[in-house]
Amino acid sequence: MTVDKQATSEPGVEREAGGQSAHGRRKLFVVLGFDRFSGLYVWAALILIFSLWVPNLFDTANNARIIAGSQAITAMVAMGLIVPVACGAFDLSIAGTLGVSCCVVIWFQANHHGWFLGIIVALLVGLVVGLVNSLIVVRLHVDSFIGTLGMSSILLAGTEWITGGGQIANGISPTFTAIGQKQIIGLPLPVFYMIALAIVLWWLLEYTPVGRYLYGIGGNPQAARLAGIRVGRITTGAFLLSGLVAAFSGIILAAQIGSASPDVGGPYLLPAFSAVFLGATQVFPGRVNVPGTLIAIFLLATGVKGLQLAGAPAYINDLFNGAALIIAVALAARAYASQRKA
Amino acid sequence: MTAALTVTSMSKSFAGPRVLNDVSLSIEPGEIRALVGENGSGKSTLIKILAGFHLPDEGSAEVDGQPLPLGNGASSETLGLRFVHQDLGLVNNLDAVDNMALGVGYPSFRGGIRWRQERKRARKALADLGYHFDVRRTVDRLAMSERTALAVARAMGPRQAQPKVLVLDEPTANLPAAEAERLFQLAKRVADSGVAVMFVSHHFDEVFGLAHSVTVLRDGQHVITRPVAGLTEDGLIELVIGRQLEQVHHDAKAAERKAIVLEVGGLECGVLNDVDLAVHAGEIVGVAGITGSGRDEVARALFGGLERSGEVKINGAVVPPLRPDRAMAMGMGLVPAERHANAAFMASTLRENVTVVRPGTYWRGGILRKSAERSDVAKWLERLDVRPREPEFTMADLSGGNQQKVVLARWLRLEPKVLVLDEPTQGVDVGAKSDIHKLVDEAAAQGTAVLVASTDHEELVRLCHRVLVFRRGRIADEIFGGRMDHDVITAATIGRDQAGAA
Repeated sequence: MTVDKQATSEPGVEREAGGQSAHGRRKLFVVLGFDRFSGLYVWAALILIFSLWVPNLFDTANNARIIAGSQAITAMVAMGLIVPVACGAFDLSIAGTLGVSCCVVIWFQANHHGWFLGIIVALLVGLVVGLVNSLIVVRLHVDSFIGTLGMSSILLAGTEWITGGGQIANGISPTFTAIGQKQIIGLPLPVFYMIALAIVLWWLLEYTPVGRYLYGIGGNPQAARLAGIRVGRITTGAFLLSGLVAAFSGIILAAQIGSASPDVGGPYLLPAFSAVFLGATQVFPGRVNVPGTLIAIFLLATGVKGLQLAGAPAYINDLFNGAALIIAVALAARAYASQRKA
Repeated sequence: MTAALTVTSMSKSFAGPRVLNDVSLSIEPGEIRALVGENGSGKSTLIKILAGFHLPDEGSAEVDGQPLPLGNGASSETLGLRFVHQDLGLVNNLDAVDNMALGVGYPSFRGGIRWRQERKRARKALADLGYHFDVRRTVDRLAMSERTALAVARAMGPRQAQPKVLVLDEPTANLPAAEAERLFQLAKRVADSGVAVMFVSHHFDEVFGLAHSVTVLRDGQHVITRPVAGLTEDGLIELVIGRQLEQVHHDAKAAERKAIVLEVGGLECGVLNDVDLAVHAGEIVGVAGITGSGRDEVARALFGGLERSGEVKINGAVVPPLRPDRAMAMGMGLVPAERHANAAFMASTLRENVTVVRPGTYWRGGILRKSAERSDVAKWLERLDVRPREPEFTMADLSGGNQQKVVLARWLRLEPKVLVLDEPTQGVDVGAKSDIHKLVDEAAAQGTAVLVASTDHEELVRLCHRVLVFRRGRIADEIFGGRMDHDVITAATIGRDQAGAA
């Protein structure tokens, strides 16, 4: 989905840059990449600020590794979310899918069925959730926001059921936890999964016809249909993908923390959405995209970590993510509006 | 007896020539007056002025002897001047009772609404017009004539003054013939109750079947107001067009009869009923018709944008309905009407807008080659003279004419066997319009079968080898050769054929 709404004003003649000095200023602005890479600049500024503010705690390579490791799961969930959002659908069930998948793979081990089978079933669960979401949205024409919201509640019930209301942490195989905890060149494996997923999704969205169809549907579903795009089919695929990625992330999370509990997925929902929408203002402004989302994730994480190290209370995370989401969407709307003024 | 409605010397211009020039008319209570004229004759402007939507430059109006304050919608209503516009102004998911209260409210009884009484009142209002249907049904489940009746019942409600004049704007535009007949009865009942009825229409059967008198406007001026009795259809057409219809010889475009590419049999969609047509390779066939004739549905029905039944074949192969992707794979392309809603991806680049229909052309070695795409698109932008000629520009930054060219490039790039165009130069400047016409000519010269649906009859004359004229869902006339003329097409869309048609 493009973050901006359809242009309602009449497109006019090619717009004037508006005044000589303003033109000059604008050029410099664009050349330095302020419009597309503002996130990177803000991130750099944050690192600078925190290095000065809490010097001994902040700028250690260890800290960077910790941030990277802890954000890998969020980043993967967020990237999976990009695909349905690109085609105009919200998927609020990703956190629920992550939770169920985590619980499934732990439950399988705790009940001696083996982690391999657990992984298979967890991934299948992700696909099934995606399929049901798409049936609800495409066949029953339920608004995706409402439909996936309902689904997330069902999935929460699912985690309660699997875990019996409490935590499961027994019978976990060390081979399994290695998937999430082993480190290569000082970075935990999930970081590499995240990079691999980023490459695949970047390719899908930018370098394949499917990516064009996704953005087309998100930009103008009616025009997409009349351009021969199979809207129902592509939307279904988008939900399947986000479900699968969420399930995969749940498996990796299970490996990381070695346990499962009913509320394990919840905290991932808002950060994923914040990152996706904030990311839509970066790199390829005006539409949700992979590099922008990654910048947003690490920007937000750096900010939160720095504040925590500086003594901010635990709830700073929620505050930051919520504020970021609102600011991101507001910025996007403003950028769109000023662009469209002929 | 005081006239129900008097209009005196009304004039209006919109930044240019006068669209309404010194128009006067008057209607007596109980009279049914038809207001007739081509598009651009000024009749919609007159209606809008009376409804308070525009302020005239000069002129005045009176309702039942009372001066009508102009530029104010509410005052028209309180004086008894009531309107039913073409889109009826009903809310689809509310029922009849609620719709009748729209804009008026309910009398409240100790702070509440007496629903039984309100339903009774609504039922009575409808019965007075000869309609009996369940007032609790929501509007979207009512037949079109029932909806129109509801809109009329609402317009006829008391509201601080009894209605004196009812203005209906193309009331049967969206009605099939049988329901239109019921509406005639309704209009007669309204007139019998002493209300003056003025209706705008393009349908001659309404003018002759319903109206007592007719006012003809042409180019913003009042041509004549006279009783319908004694007027012939040909006579009325002449008054509307402004001259006698002779056989006009144009440089008629003749197409060598090549093979049939597009074949349509028994097409049914919306008002379209049992339509057969065929387009040959290299031929440009036009589709003309007024609102509600089916002209605006043909293009999308063929391409799969609308639900339809019947058979559509391209080079003998059957095209399944509701599958634009299949139609496209079989060689059909559609440049839809209303590009903003139906064709343009405003936030995307020109490059993406052009290649969205088949990006796979640039697929090599597992990725889309964007540089190849960009240079290819640049060539197309050059060929169609799109300005600015930059593939990475955003669609929304272009003027309407250039946007339309981009959409056209989208389909020309695929070298379609059948190209369907719906209002191809809508909202397009003069220069781009001429460019687009040349491009369509070129496509046909290369063997593409072209179908053009348009309300611009000059455009149809310029482009087409022949024009199919639709009336009430069927092909009523086919115009070609010596009859290819703007006025002949206009006449055919609104009335019967000229005597001595080819």
